[in-house]
Amino acid sequence: MAESRMGFLIDTSRCIACRSCQVACKQWNKLEADTTANHGSYENPGDLTPNLYNRIRFIEKADGGSMKWLFMNERCVHCGDAGCMKVCPAPGALYRTNEGFIVHNKEKCIACKYCVSACPFGVPRYGADDKVSKCHLCYDRLGVGKPPACAKACPTQTLQYGPRNGLIAKVKAAKKTVYGEADLSGLGVLYVLDDKPEVYGLPANPSIPTAIFLWKDVVKPLGILGFWGSIAAVLFHYVTTGPKQIEEENQKTGGDRHE
Amino acid sequence: MSKYVERFNTRERVLHWFVTVTFFTQLLSGLGLFSRLFVGYLDLFGGGQGAIMVHKYAGILFLASSLLLFLNHRKEISTLDDDDRVWLSKLGGYLSRDTYEENNGKFNAGQKLFGIFMGASTVILGITGFVIWFPVLLPRSLVQVSLLVHGLIFVLFIMFVIVHIYLATIGNPGTLDGMLWGRVSRIWARKHHVKWYKEITGQEKAS
Ligand code: HEM
Ligand code: SF4
Ligand code: SF4
Ligand code: SF4
Repeated sequence: MAESRMGFLIDTSRCIACRSCQVACKQWNKLEADTTANHGSYENPGDLTPNLYNRIRFIEKADGGSMKWLFMNERCVHCGDAGCMKVCPAPGALYRTNEGFIVHNKEKCIACKYCVSACPFGVPRYGADDKVSKCHLCYDRLGVGKPPACAKACPTQTLQYGPRNGLIAKVKAAKKTVYGEADLSGLGVLYVLDDKPEVYGLPANPSIPTAIFLWKDVVKPLGILGFWGSIAAVLFHYVTTGPKQIEEENQKTGGDRHE
Repeated sequence: MSKYVERFNTRERVLHWFVTVTFFTQLLSGLGLFSRLFVGYLDLFGGGQGAIMVHKYAGILFLASSLLLFLNHRKEISTLDDDDRVWLSKLGGYLSRDTYEENNGKFNAGQKLFGIFMGASTVILGITGFVIWFPVLLPRSLVQVSLLVHGLIFVLFIMFVIVHIYLATIGNPGTLDGMLWGRVSRIWARKHHVKWYKEITGQEKAS
């Protein structure tokens, strides 16, 4: 993707779990509050919902005798090679912006939910309207030169928006590793993690699910070839070997000729 | 003596054409979901959501009717005899202009295999179809595999149906009569299904 690709960095080590990002996103996108239930953690809500495009995941980790918290902002990571876009049958329902992020358009979405199955990160959600929803990286703010609402609200600079290469260079200069630099042609949302990706619920090597790859990159093209191939084969048979005529036998048996 | 013998009764013919109509409804409503190349077909159903709705409910009709069609012919297609093996080894004589003396029952080996394929594919499309009907409720990996298998069977089904239509129409003149009006000419029956012809006419040797 182009040099001009923008990026979004989540430096989990800085996060204090204030959840300003959750609130800012709700406010900017005018998303309803969800009723949630206590599930034995400060984490709330317990999962992304159609009305919650990002949230802080609370990971409780044993640390010697005591317990340590890891915080991680969970959202659509705007893959360079995006499973959701690969399978979406509705033109315009999911599209990539000039900045390189993936935006959904509910008006165009036909509610097939293929993107749910194809996303390596299990991100897209469906509400009562049955249409896709997820983080769109504030395309409507970026367009008018404003930073993403969640990044603007973040008091600790855990969330940073900027040119993707610049963000990566900054992390490397600080001798930290970036999650998502090259996976899936590079994620638009990059992470700095304090522990292994799995600890945060992120796949160590994210990739398009195998069945989805076979469906869209093998069965689909071969199928289209097979369709035209079959038509070509029967036409070829018709003009070479030709049909099995029944008149022929007629003459052989010299019998009754039926039109 | 009439020039014709009965091949399919009214009930069988109505069922066959019902399956055909629901199959093509499934085909046309699924096509736009299969590839962006065919996105225009969604408009036949008033857009993608319309196509999905039609596909789901016509899918139930297809599943029921196609299964019934298979069960009705189950006995006639489920065993292959020696003549069928000869047919298969010669590929029905379709690869050469020299005709060979076919000795087929009501259905030849190719038709039997197509029937079995249809029965199995109908069941597989039905099961995977119901899985992808509820993508959020069911396990992800199950839905992913079902999308793959539904798409794969879709492709194979179309390829076999193209061959089926060819062989039932211009590839074998006289064959379509049986499914349109129920009767076929005696000459046709003697050429294509002589064993069956002898059976239904009680003749030892075709005259
Ligand atoms: C046997 C009954 C069937 C059922 C219950 C069924 C059900 C479904 C469902 C629920 C979907 C997903 C629709 C959506 O929500 O987007 C689907 C997709 C699809 N169906 Fe079917 N279907 C059946 C038979 C067929 C047949 C006979 C064909 C073709 C001749 C077909 C071709 C397709 C195609 C091409 C798709 C798009 C997904 C893909 O590429 O795999 N289906 N089907
Ligand atoms: S994380 Fe999922 S929803 Fe977001 S771009 Fe990647 S595949 Fe699409
Ligand atoms: S649910 Fe909507 S956005 Fe997702 S793949 Fe289907 S049409 Fe595209
Ligand atoms: S970038 Fe915008 S849409 Fe995405 S989580 Fe932040 S505020 Fe919400």
